[in-house]
Amino acid sequence: MFRKYPYNAVLFGLKYNNFCLMFTMLWLLLLPVSVSAHNVTVFAWVDGDTIHTQSKFSGGKRVKNAPILVYDFKDVLLLEGKTDENGMFSFKIPQKTALKIVLKASMGHLAFWKLQAEELGETESKTAVQPTGMKVPLVTDSGSAGIEKNVDVLESTKISLGRREIEEIIDASLDKKLRPITQMLADAMNQKPGFTEIMGGIGYILGLVGIALYFANRKRNR
Amino acid sequence: MHISEGVLSPAILIGGATLAVAGVAIGMKNLEQKEIPTIGILSAAFFVASLIHVPAGPVSAHLILNGLVGLILGWKAFPAILVGLALQALLFQFGGITTLGVNTLNMALPAVICYHIFKNGLKTGMGKYTVIICAFATGFFSVLLSGIMVGLSLYLTGEAFLPAAKLVVAAHLPVMFIEGILTTTCVLFLKKVRPEILEESHVS
Repeated sequence: MFRKYPYNAVLFGLKYNNFCLMFTMLWLLLLPVSVSAHNVTVFAWVDGDTIHTQSKFSGGKRVKNAPILVYDFKDVLLLEGKTDENGMFSFKIPQKTALKIVLKASMGHLAFWKLQAEELGETESKTAVQPTGMKVPLVTDSGSAGIEKNVDVLESTKISLGRREIEEIIDASLDKKLRPITQMLADAMNQKPGFTEIMGGIGYILGLVGIALYFANRKRNR
Repeated sequence: MHISEGVLSPAILIGGATLAVAGVAIGMKNLEQKEIPTIGILSAAFFVASLIHVPAGPVSAHLILNGLVGLILGWKAFPAILVGLALQALLFQFGGITTLGVNTLNMALPAVICYHIFKNGLKTGMGKYTVIICAFATGFFSVLLSGIMVGLSLYLTGEAFLPAAKLVVAAHLPVMFIEGILTTTCVLFLKKVRPEILEESHVS
């Protein structure tokens, strides 16, 4: 029955109605969008000897009472727990290797976050932080820069100790300074699909329709 | 409703993908040129519908619109939903590429089943109430069946079936009613403006 009409009439005449109608439907659907849906993310960061995790649905809704499983790099289960009312779950570092933190939200939703060994390694020295650290570093360090060649064995051990302490102090203060930024990153992890993604997807579909029509048309004209 | 990557066992992923490919093949068979724009537009509607969040219910859920897609397209819902899901996976990170087959099957098969059960109620000559009931039922049961199929997929991977299916269905209960109403509205509108779209296009 399709052959009765010339192609253009179908596309621009008959189908014009159809297009208008469907686009109105699309726009009606688009208008009340409150973007939030089914995609879960888990984000983990190290703070001292503790690992914090935060779990969210896309759109920012927290994932409550969902199991969190922590695996090492060989997929051996190290520990598990549940997220609290704020989607948070914290635990002591179980071992200083790369960790994989898996969130199992209900209904077949799953997300994971990998922590590299280096992220955890940084904290290794932290347990050894000495309260006396404050006055040692700068003097010995500048000394080490100046008289590098003349140091005896005793001096060099002192210097290396000093360096270690400096590192620890820097780590501690960096941790403190970076905490708001880590928090911001955690908050930014709930990527809502934006306008670009939505329009991009619709564009892809229209493109596919175009390609399909092109081939269908070529077949017909043969 | 989208099952994430890494949840299901490979056997189910492969099985789902195979059945989804079969469904797409049936849908693409005897594809008429004039149907292509309709498929594309419904695919776009399906793609966007997943962003509309239904806040009611115990868990956040979103519209699926598979009933409407199935009712208008029949078996051609398979390619439409496959494209929509692929783009949702790539752009929104809903679901995943490996679970694409299973997800397509879970959403498209109920749509096709409901289409075959309820399509006769929408033909011209049917009473208005029959049309309304059939359209509502299509929207409602497509989502219900999809929920049960998601529960089944999880069950086949080792989760207990009843709790998993119950949770999915309970979470989507508000969605079912909204989709029922939405499908009815669209069908009544289509019957007024373009009644032939609900009847002639799919002979398969």
